[in-house]
Amino acid sequence: MSDALLLAAGEDPRQGLQAVRAVRELADRLEHLQVERARGLGWSWQEIADALGVSKQAVHKKYGRRI
Amino acid sequence: MFERFTADARAVVVSAQAVARESGARAIDGRHLLLGLTEAAGPATEAMTSVGLDPVRLALDLRTELSSGGLDAAALASVGIDLAAVRASADEVFGQGALDRVRRSPVKGHLPFTADAKKSLELALREAVRLHTSRIDGAMLLLGTLRGTGSPAELDLSRALAEVGSTPEALRRAVERAVAEAS
Repeated sequence: MSDALLLAAGEDPRQGLQAVRAVRELADRLEHLQVERARGLGWSWQEIADALGVSKQAVHKKYGRRI
Repeated sequence: MFERFTADARAVVVSAQAVARESGARAIDGRHLLLGLTEAAGPATEAMTSVGLDPVRLALDLRTELSSGGLDAAALASVGIDLAAVRASADEVFGQGALDRVRRSPVKGHLPFTADAKKSLELALREAVRLHTSRIDGAMLLLGTLRGTGSPAELDLSRALAEVGSTPEALRRAVERAVAEAS
């Protein structure tokens, strides 16, 4: 890709927004894996919530039934 | 809207719905429709072939992109994240294929269309009016996609065309020629 093309792509909000979406998807999946692993290692929901910087209720609501 | 669709065009919409659901998408976007078009033999794939674009290859690329379930390697690379590296470390800690294991589960029932997919269906309708055909077939759906400048489907299609040294304009002319010959 030429410099001019790269510059044009960088100025397009669409590409930036797509990147944000992909980062969010990646973060969601990593969070799921990490929470699952922490539970497997005996962590409490409170400990996981503290590490993620969210409330215990929020973590439990999101993963309580899935993990 | 679909009452004027030919059987082929309906099949494209049905297959777009199936692919979207399989990949855990929450809605059908223009790329799902484009994938449906590339996988159905008809005026759309014939026009693609005539400008040097291999529909099978495009279908494969689209399937890869869509089955990532939002984990878009190119988009991540644009902000400096190497998905392959993340994958490798996730595999190491959580086991092989961990990142794909935790993808969102498929949605049941009918999926809605995204705004860009609706737009490209509307544009297909408008193309049919412009070309004086009463039926919306695969050719009109492809023209609709081409008219939807800036949509994910149009961007993918334009990129694929550029890779084989062609242009959206050339594809549009090829489709219009095929339509004129058929009528």
